[in-house]
Amino acid sequence: MDKEKFNELCHDLAPRSDHTLTEAILQEVSSFQAGHQNKRLPVIWIETSDSGDNNIAFLNSTYPYAGQVFTDMIDLLYCNSFMTAQGKHALNILEQAAVMLKGQFTLVVEGAIPLKDNGLYNVIIRTENRNITALEAVNWLGNLAKYVVAMGTCASFGGVSSARPNITGSVAVRQVLNREIINVSGCPVNPDWFVGTLAHLLMYGRPELDDLGRPTLFYGYTVHRHCQRRSYFDKGDFAENLGDIECMFSLGCMGPRTGADCPYRQWINYVNWPVRANTPCIGCTNEDFPDGSTPFFTPLSEKGSDKDKEINLPPNRKETNKWQKRG
Amino acid sequence: MAKKRVMFSPVTRLEGLLSVEVTLDGDRVVNANASSTAFRGFEWIMRDRHVTDAVYMTQRICGICSTAHGAVASYLLDELYDNTLSENAQLMRNIMYASDIIQNHIRHFYLFGLPDYVRMPQRPPFHGQNLSDARLNPKDDQRLLENYFEAIKVSQKSHEILALFGGKAPHQHSFVHGGVSVAPTADKINRALALAKTVSEFVKGKLVPDTELIARAYSDYYQIGVTEGQFLSFGLFRFGPKNERLLLKNGVQKGNRLIPLDIGLINEDITNSWFSTAFEQGSNGKELIPNPYKPGAYTWSKSVTYGGHHYEVGPLARMIINGKYRGGASTMDRIYARTLETVHFTQLMEDWLKRVKPGPAPIEQKKTPVKNKVVATTDAMRGALLHSAWIEDEQVVRYNIITPSVWNFSPKDEYGRLGPAEGALVGTVVPRQEMLFNVLGRIIRSFDPCLQCATHVLDMRGNVKKESLL
Ligand code: SF4
Repeated sequence: MDKEKFNELCHDLAPRSDHTLTEAILQEVSSFQAGHQNKRLPVIWIETSDSGDNNIAFLNSTYPYAGQVFTDMIDLLYCNSFMTAQGKHALNILEQAAVMLKGQFTLVVEGAIPLKDNGLYNVIIRTENRNITALEAVNWLGNLAKYVVAMGTCASFGGVSSARPNITGSVAVRQVLNREIINVSGCPVNPDWFVGTLAHLLMYGRPELDDLGRPTLFYGYTVHRHCQRRSYFDKGDFAENLGDIECMFSLGCMGPRTGADCPYRQWINYVNWPVRANTPCIGCTNEDFPDGSTPFFTPLSEKGSDKDKEINLPPNRKETNKWQKRG
Repeated sequence: MAKKRVMFSPVTRLEGLLSVEVTLDGDRVVNANASSTAFRGFEWIMRDRHVTDAVYMTQRICGICSTAHGAVASYLLDELYDNTLSENAQLMRNIMYASDIIQNHIRHFYLFGLPDYVRMPQRPPFHGQNLSDARLNPKDDQRLLENYFEAIKVSQKSHEILALFGGKAPHQHSFVHGGVSVAPTADKINRALALAKTVSEFVKGKLVPDTELIARAYSDYYQIGVTEGQFLSFGLFRFGPKNERLLLKNGVQKGNRLIPLDIGLINEDITNSWFSTAFEQGSNGKELIPNPYKPGAYTWSKSVTYGGHHYEVGPLARMIINGKYRGGASTMDRIYARTLETVHFTQLMEDWLKRVKPGPAPIEQKKTPVKNKVVATTDAMRGALLHSAWIEDEQVVRYNIITPSVWNFSPKDEYGRLGPAEGALVGTVVPRQEMLFNVLGRIIRSFDPCLQCATHVLDMRGNVKKESLL
């Protein structure tokens, strides 16, 4: 499959019953590998300041399942959560991999990087005589890696770890490293976005990125654009309560300015997503998540950011009865 | 023989970051310092936000037990707004909650625990295993390895149940205050039932025999990693219109005595934690300030006690308090109790799925708070979890959290008394030097450590007393 076809596949909006996006990726990866001496993507994955939600989200990958990603797609050389080695044996592996695969490995960073107090709010490894902080590790490995993937919104943009008042001085990976970062944002990341990006790196190299450094494959459209409730929005028919079936804008939906393909890709074997669960999208892939999304249940135009006041509302909504169901 | 200090870091195969420094006197562990090495400051993050944000925001404390935080925040808001819950809402909530706990337990046993006992293939991410005490025959190793990969698929299915009703996982959306936003339609219930059946077949057919196999082959671990056997649980699975009924009861177990719980007896101590107190601006109280340079301190976790004693929390505590397990307080007891609990919860989940009545979304949220201070509790996957909030005009003034790993991974308190995990390590005899990490790793992982959440401090003024808990 050529790169254009692959991109088309990721962009395919048709709600296909067999949900073959990632299944197709896996097939493609196998046939690619057959022609390339079983090439796999060498990955060093470090967890920094986050909730661990992204590695759990990764384990929810289907077609390929996370186990298939381990065995068929990537060489996961270092990863605090999944590796078998422990203690200084794990540190040895990290040091060796960084040297031996310099310029070849992909660095995955899961979490924000605290800067305050020399980064001591996040120590990823200790030895008898020193602390290796997330700050040091990202600087060290980030300059040796071929690609750097920021996994999740904390790594991409600071996320919840840097939410106000940010007493740890946490920042995104892109504020630490002076190089291109592939931001695969989401709180947590949808496993398709992450595994799809890895597949692209393996087979075709760097994917096309949007102005926030995110692969356009997955973040190119707003949630609002393809939302199943868009017709309610256009008619000005808004939900009054969580659980209602109308447009969730009145209850804080961030869909109008959130780049993500949740409405058609959905989550966990493609079964659901927040708006289909009768709750608002909280904009978890955004640069300003969570502070720009809170209060979560307050309409976007009232959340406080000037940008959001400009969101175009349907012309026929009633001013007097604002956000209430019409009629 | 001279004492020797060894740093065990990183302790891999867990959620979050953990380092453990042990002191060895010959072949015996005579001291252990467990360091939780990450701090995020969640209580600060929660301040000055609308209190209803807590249901989604606090889930971001932990990715592997996010539903527990969403649940306890929902209970807290239910009380704050005086919601009345329907039977269907409680069934749906508990189905979601159970599906997340089952996910956690399966992943813990296979992905995190199994490589402590089973030979893994020598390729990434299993290379460099250093299993110096492997006891299973190659056939059993092979079978358990296959189950490792199947566990990845089955735990995904457990999360699929959560996503069906909760919108996504982790960090589900629909278990919120007042009930559940998703309508339990017949198709969703049926689909969840089919998934639940697959999960429960795996649990009965693989998880149980695999646990038994390991318990037999490593039966000496019933004598290794033993705690004082003092257990605490806040109870689990709430029912009733006001969340007043607990299916698994709460309590404190000391020897054979079960004592009713009084959360006013909880106390926290920062002697060995990277926190200092400072006078808070604009108030006459003291506030805890993170201080990574504090001399002598070694962790971001605080030392939490109940009535002056450290307590072990988690599945073993719940099973013992509820009379469903009679055994000791060792490494293997913790593993075994977690598996028994998984069996129990898959049965409950299937039963609840059969009892849910198809119908509209069972949710009704009241809009005006009737209180301004609330404490809510539940048990998360790993044990007792507490949230408390003090609000003004629906805005959070203080939001405090005590998580399970703070109980189990408590550092030494002001009297030098050990927390449960540290206590389980001290006294351990390591027969051969190359087995050190292996033995320590088994003991530590039996607590299912998740240090992401231990990193969040209870933002108290000095000691926690009942009134300051609010
Ligand atoms: S505002 Fe939200 S719920 Fe409404 S159409 Fe847009 S994305 Fe969908």
